[in-house]
Amino acid sequence: MIDLIQTLGSGILVGLVYALLGLCIVIIFKASEAFNFAIGEFLILGSFLFYVLFFNETLPWHRALPLGVLIFLFFSYVFFFDIRARFVIAIPSGLVAGFLIFCVLFFGLNLSSLVSSSLLRFIIALPMGLLAAGFVGSMVERITIKPLLGRSPISMTIITLGLGFFLRGCIQLIWGSHAYPFFLDLPDITMEMGDFLFLSDPIWAGILSLLTFGLVIVFLFRSRWGLAIRATSEDQAKAMAFGINSRFILLIVWAISALCIAVAGIMISNFGALQVGMGYVGLRAIPVVLIGGMDSIGGALIGGIIVGVCESLAGTYIEPMGLIGFKDVAPYILLLIVLFIRPYGLFGTVRIERV
Amino acid sequence: MLSIENLRVVYHDVISVLNGISLGVKDGEVLIIIGANGAGKTTLLRSISGMIEFYDGDIIEGDVKMDGTSIKGLDATDIMKRFDLTYVMEDRPVFWYLTIEENLGAASFSRWDKRVKADMEEVFGYFPVLRSMKGKRAGYASGGEQQMLAIGMALMTKPKILLLDEPSLGLAPLITEELFSIISQLNQTGITIMLVEQNAHAALGIGTRGYVVEMGRIVLDGTAQELLENEDVREFYLGSGKKERKSYKDAKRYKRRKRWL
Amino acid sequence: MKQRAVFVLAFTLSLILLFILPLSAKEIKTLSQFPMSGPVGSLPEFGWGFIDGMNWVNNEGGGVNGKKIKWFLEDFRYNPTVEVANFSKYTAEHPPDELLMATGYITGGLKPLIEKVNKEQKIPWLDGSYSTEIFGAGGGPSKYPYYYSLGATYGDQIKVLLKWIKENHKGKGKPRVAFVYSPTAWGRDGTPEGIAYAKKLGFDVVAEIEYPYTATSATNECMQLRKAKAQYVIYHGYSGATSYTAIFFKTARKIIPKAQLMGTHYTTGRFPILVAQEAFDGYVGVATRPFSDPVPRAKYPKDNAMVKMAHEFAQKNRPEEYKKGLKGGIKDMFLYMEGLTYALMLQKALTDADNAGDLSREGVKKALDNMVWDFKGMFGGKTFSYKSHTIPMLQIFKAKVKMVKMGDKMVPTGGVYPISDWINTDEIQW
Ligand SMILES: Nc1ncnc2c1ncn2[C@@H]1O[C@H](COP(=O)(O)OP(=O)(O)O)[C@@H](O)[C@H]1O
Ligand SMILES: [Mg+2]
Repeated sequence: MIDLIQTLGSGILVGLVYALLGLCIVIIFKASEAFNFAIGEFLILGSFLFYVLFFNETLPWHRALPLGVLIFLFFSYVFFFDIRARFVIAIPSGLVAGFLIFCVLFFGLNLSSLVSSSLLRFIIALPMGLLAAGFVGSMVERITIKPLLGRSPISMTIITLGLGFFLRGCIQLIWGSHAYPFFLDLPDITMEMGDFLFLSDPIWAGILSLLTFGLVIVFLFRSRWGLAIRATSEDQAKAMAFGINSRFILLIVWAISALCIAVAGIMISNFGALQVGMGYVGLRAIPVVLIGGMDSIGGALIGGIIVGVCESLAGTYIEPMGLIGFKDVAPYILLLIVLFIRPYGLFGTVRIERV
Repeated sequence: MLSIENLRVVYHDVISVLNGISLGVKDGEVLIIIGANGAGKTTLLRSISGMIEFYDGDIIEGDVKMDGTSIKGLDATDIMKRFDLTYVMEDRPVFWYLTIEENLGAASFSRWDKRVKADMEEVFGYFPVLRSMKGKRAGYASGGEQQMLAIGMALMTKPKILLLDEPSLGLAPLITEELFSIISQLNQTGITIMLVEQNAHAALGIGTRGYVVEMGRIVLDGTAQELLENEDVREFYLGSGKKERKSYKDAKRYKRRKRWL
Repeated sequence: MKQRAVFVLAFTLSLILLFILPLSAKEIKTLSQFPMSGPVGSLPEFGWGFIDGMNWVNNEGGGVNGKKIKWFLEDFRYNPTVEVANFSKYTAEHPPDELLMATGYITGGLKPLIEKVNKEQKIPWLDGSYSTEIFGAGGGPSKYPYYYSLGATYGDQIKVLLKWIKENHKGKGKPRVAFVYSPTAWGRDGTPEGIAYAKKLGFDVVAEIEYPYTATSATNECMQLRKAKAQYVIYHGYSGATSYTAIFFKTARKIIPKAQLMGTHYTTGRFPILVAQEAFDGYVGVATRPFSDPVPRAKYPKDNAMVKMAHEFAQKNRPEEYKKGLKGGIKDMFLYMEGLTYALMLQKALTDADNAGDLSREGVKKALDNMVWDFKGMFGGKTFSYKSHTIPMLQIFKAKVKMVKMGDKMVPTGGVYPISDWINTDEIQW
């Protein structure tokens, strides 16, 4: 019994992180019907961006400068073509952004010399890292996805596959492929009662993932941008006809998605260390969304928890029987069963049939 | 206020749909466009509103002007924001998975301000049914309610000129009548209306002028009254007139001839 | 007309000469393969160490009694198939009396090559694998006469750890030991032998857990260890450039703080210090090489001639990479030293064979079998004999990691330090 509760508990905590991964897939799928296979690379990239800020990691100039220039180009582009600022505003603001990014990458942020408490440092670095991840997400969308708007979702999905390889190459080029130490040093909230033990890091991971999940939902369902996103997700043409700039909305969706993936990535990195090869974790999102339903936000949450618990149960009860690696397979077996019974996933949308 | 000059539009670079259409919309009028299925009416509205790009269509010749300014090639959202032109697509363009209230909110995205709530009330004033079901998903509303919602959403964008694409499609005659009376009410508040219809009788009843479109060309134009009395229009679009039917081919040639006269 | 005939003749002759001449002058060739890229990350250090080593051997080192070694180096990307294919290619291209030795690095490649190396080619093959199956009691020289390992088997490594437990166990009752290993060919290798030995020593083997290197969390595994009340956890995994070892140590340190974490060669190194930091403090593990790379690097053990040589080589030949460390340079000096070790081993074996007057594959095999060497002082002056086809030397180390403030960052410092003398496993009465 104690075992079971312990197992379920840790399964749910990890499941919440998976749920966040699922959410990232779902919102992109809803908005453009494409599956983002580059999720693993986004995960690593987001974690590295946070790493740069939190651990004051600097890059040599021949890495930082091209990145700065990239940011400059991107910003100017978005300001000019999407926000429709005038040229004299677009270029300088791009320059400022590019220069800031270059400075951060090259000189480091030196947060730790300013703030001694690691919690406070985390609170400062997290939004900045996430923002950076969001920018990268939107940049990627602009360069690779937007030109495909209106084409079949399959071509977008395939682009994300290629994109994954490309991003992975870039990350390896910039940060190498070895492991980086990753200690967030968040306040210890380990829960130990008798035989129960829940570690601080997974609890934090669960809490922060749930929090992010909640914030995204609030954003989607309580803000006017969220409303526009939901409208665009339903029909880009209709949305455009009513004055919602679908293309800019897609950019926002990718940014949010990249941002959430970064949260998940940071949490997972904190369990061990950060390394390019960890990208495969992102693919846990596949059983999550397929079980929960590709277009259901609630489904992502439930799917995530199911996958987490399923893995955990398999790890505690089945693997010791000698079936090693079953943990990785278990969610997929469950997935098969679910798809048998409900082909659209547990919470996949049942189309509205007019009465 | 809106003028279309010799517009030629192709889809996917090969399918030529509009073959040189010219027309003008005057301030404050209700302009009716009638034409058979596939005549290119929807394409015409898409070209004006800037949506054509989304459907992989191209304006290869001609121009669209608002008060003398060319709006050809602008983004749909730009045209809407800068020229207060709103296009209500055919087939009841509401968001099925959003509630009625959210639908109205989404439509006011481009001009979000304090007055949105008041405007919503105004829309509910025109369409009282919507108020009673504002928390309900639009997908579950009836066809008439959805069309009213679509027009309500268009009103939320504060248009000066409204392009309506077959609002009566699939609606019961009674509801169509109600809808058209509201459209003419809207016109009285100063909104210019360009109404595309197959239901020529009802439409011409509230219209000031009208055009007949065939195969991407204008074949006939005149005041609403003239068109209502026209033999061919009566025969092909109003379903009355002479008992003995001419073949479609004949009619076309005839009309074209008339046009040249 | 005549002149032209002469010209053509001369041309043909010179062409024939061109082909024949190098054949007449027999060369000494070797083939080396390292996993320098691939799924476990990029490890160019092997290649750097090997290239620097071979250049030294051929120039300052005097080659094989003055003759130069023509060496080939391939990256097999951690892929046994590539390793096998490369080997086939080279053995087809180069005559058997020239290509005298080959080296490889992983257990996965040894298995498909058994027939080819030991029966067909009969070429001495040095390998980085510590496979018990191949080099332990069940295999060995009688079964695989041409395979040589450059370190003691995993089975022996684990047994030495168990012996250490027996000698150092304090509390009452039998020691409660648990095994954690990765579900791979080399991970499963050696564990059964270790478990059998633990039972023989009268220990309680309380858990036996497979922990895959794709893991994202080790909570389950550590909870199992906690439930089993394990006092000693023998972790048999790989730490270079991967994060799953860090996950294990970070989690284990919190869930089972009292247990003694122990490990085999590839965990006893620099990476866990950098990546798991304080969680690695107190770890006890064995290694087949002297520990060569503490944090900071400058504090390397200068009393070991081999370590010193490796550091001096790296500083001289790769100053940039030596300085850069983790950031695109030499991440762990062990890797660099390993490449160098191979170069020196090739020279020693070939030279011994040449001195015995039989510079052929068989001659090299004989030289290896009879070799008694101190490996340039690698084992603190002790010598080993290669009779068992493994270099049977092991040392037990303990990790000391301390966090210090450097600039504005807390960085780990420390290393793993010997707590035993070099142990020759051939001499142990198990
Ligand atoms: N996106 C499109 N791609 C290709 N052809 C189209 C497209 N939309 C409409 N068409 C074609 O253009 C012609 C006119 O269509 P449309 O403008 O919708 O006519 P209407 O609205 O008058 O019924 C039709 O033949 C139709 O098949
Ligand atoms: Mg139409």
